[in-house]
Amino acid sequence: MSEVETPRIGVFVCHCGHNIAGVVDVDKVAEVAEDMPYVVFSTHEMFMCADSGQELIRQKIKEHNLNRVVVASCSPRMHEPTFRRVVEEADLNRYLFEQVNLREHVSWCHMRQPVEATEKAIDLVRMSVARAAKLEALPIKKVEVTPRTLVVGSGIAGLTAALDIADRGFEVVIVEKDKVLGGAVAKWTHLFPSDQIGEQVIEPLIDRIMRHEKIEVVRDSKVVNFEGYIGNFEVTIQNNPTGAERTYKVGTVIVATGFEPFRPIGYYGYGESPDVVTLAELQEMPRQYELFKPSDGKPVKKIAFIGCVGSREPGTKGHEHCSRHCCSAVAKAASDLRQRCDEVLVLYQDIRTYGRGHEEMHRLARGRNVIYSKFPPDQKPQVTIRKGKVRLNWFDVLSEDHLQFEPDLLVLASAMVPPSDIEETANLFSLTRSADGFFNPEHIKLAPLTTHTAGIMIAGAAQAAKNAHESAIDASGAAAKAVGLMARGKVEIESTVAQVIPELCSTCYTCVSACPYGAISIDKDAKPQAARVTEAKCHGCGTCAGGCPSSAIVMLHSTDDQILAMVEAYLCTPQEVTGGNA
Amino acid sequence: MMTEAKATIVTENDWEPRIVAYCCNWCSYAGADLAGTSRIQYPPNARILRVNCTGRIKPEFILAALDMGADGVLVSGCHPGDCHYTSGNLKARARWALMEQVIEQAGVNPKRVRLQWASASEAQIFADGVRALVEQVKELGPIVREWK
Repeated sequence: MSEVETPRIGVFVCHCGHNIAGVVDVDKVAEVAEDMPYVVFSTHEMFMCADSGQELIRQKIKEHNLNRVVVASCSPRMHEPTFRRVVEEADLNRYLFEQVNLREHVSWCHMRQPVEATEKAIDLVRMSVARAAKLEALPIKKVEVTPRTLVVGSGIAGLTAALDIADRGFEVVIVEKDKVLGGAVAKWTHLFPSDQIGEQVIEPLIDRIMRHEKIEVVRDSKVVNFEGYIGNFEVTIQNNPTGAERTYKVGTVIVATGFEPFRPIGYYGYGESPDVVTLAELQEMPRQYELFKPSDGKPVKKIAFIGCVGSREPGTKGHEHCSRHCCSAVAKAASDLRQRCDEVLVLYQDIRTYGRGHEEMHRLARGRNVIYSKFPPDQKPQVTIRKGKVRLNWFDVLSEDHLQFEPDLLVLASAMVPPSDIEETANLFSLTRSADGFFNPEHIKLAPLTTHTAGIMIAGAAQAAKNAHESAIDASGAAAKAVGLMARGKVEIESTVAQVIPELCSTCYTCVSACPYGAISIDKDAKPQAARVTEAKCHGCGTCAGGCPSSAIVMLHSTDDQILAMVEAYLCTPQEVTGGNA
Repeated sequence: MMTEAKATIVTENDWEPRIVAYCCNWCSYAGADLAGTSRIQYPPNARILRVNCTGRIKPEFILAALDMGADGVLVSGCHPGDCHYTSGNLKARARWALMEQVIEQAGVNPKRVRLQWASASEAQIFADGVRALVEQVKELGPIVREWK
């Protein structure tokens, strides 16, 4: 709107090694870009994100006096922050940077169509150049970070994160929906690879938590409302029995809501006999030397385990993943119980004892004469229950023989699945989920503990099936992330908020009702009256601007003008005008 | 009322549909990223524009694209109930119903536009959606501007 300087755009096309250049003719893209409106410099380079690529951008900004930069490389969801920083280092406002996605959206999904891919790449660059010409510098906003973290869930991940944060001098509020702290680990008897029971691991943590002056524990309660933005969240916690609510201000959040053991109804006789239990149910049985049958209370002499129950099922939504903890957990339980039972049998598809000490645990079980028998994935063991007796029939791959066993207790190593209320949690904290149903990290490799909601971290089995050891590592990492934000005291937030042009506003209230955050109200004192955006509440979705019948709302960095310029650049290039009104 | 004429000028051999695809940043744009990461191959006809939320998409953006000669327009966002901004996609859905009627009255076959939900993990659904629209538009032929 107020921009008067003539755009001087630089276009930098990235090969990404062979990733882009192996399909897209990057030479040609850079060459065609040279003739695009306002482009004063265009080049291509092996890796734009590498130091040399970054230096090239900074250098060319100075050399050609560039005031807009377009990098055509990977997804902006990956490297937009990188390149924004690069242009800022060359004294260019970060909002004058624009990224084109030539890798995820072009070369990787049109691998066998180099001509069409190159054409698409040129179009996308042309669109972004058009948008770049309309970009405006925005002020960089900083907000204070409330030095307090909300930890959701008190399993091993939640407890560890809370202690890590509190030990660094920041306040923590732990909210737990159960009456007791400790999550799954506290309940489990056969923990691997150490020879400790869950309680022994968890109790010292809980002890320290309860005595820590920086930690407030809120049990038997759940989060019912969550508002705000990084550094300034407002969370309402409701007590389950009383319904009483209390609101806390927190700067960061760690979601450590863990998992639920899958209840495998319909698998291997589960639900048909009390003597068919899940591994989790076995873990939670009363701890005593002898194991007793749930059905008649007689001692268990013969026990069998089946692996991969509800895990690794291609095509079954939410059950395609490996649950990662079960092979080692079964090895530990089997080797423990072998000392109290006459026969222990483990039926498996594959054994994946990948962690430190896990393979040793597996070897120990075998050494104690636990019988391991492999069944084919497409020929699952058959369980029949007759007169209360559980009978197993299966095909043993190694002996190529059909075998039979009648265990007193059958234990199903069932999958780790998300808690039943995960959707509620996802909605509260605006988190997305992966195909396995667990929360998505911001980036699987580069940002595995942060989420796409700034200020919210995930830790432990909330992110994917994993064991206690891995959950604790996550927790310390997520705690470090939270502390990093709080120690800085101030963080930058996106300046991409909605603005009202009061002269165009007809106070129709469309935007007021469209805003998911209650960030827009009608300013009745203004003359004439007009809608007004409370910027601190605005998340930048643009739903108000999408609905405004008077085009009175400008969505910064996503203006109508910027969007339509891209459409026009694609569809109304001179050589192929098809009736457009460019 | 004007009706859209069947393609006559361009033969099917040298014509490929031009598709404008508006994708929300959090679900469908990420889903399209995952399609790439997973090397899922789909027709190269769509040009993706990133918006924060499908709620940002003015009906005018769809009409303008058709007006400028897009053969089809795809809008792809988070599943209802799964919106990064809680409810922006619900507004998009509500506007869509009206917008479809408007384009039909303008003489454009509503099969040229497609609204779909594809989450960040639904790369295949995203890719299938692009393919479905491209095939549908191919059957209709190039858009011919007969409205004023």
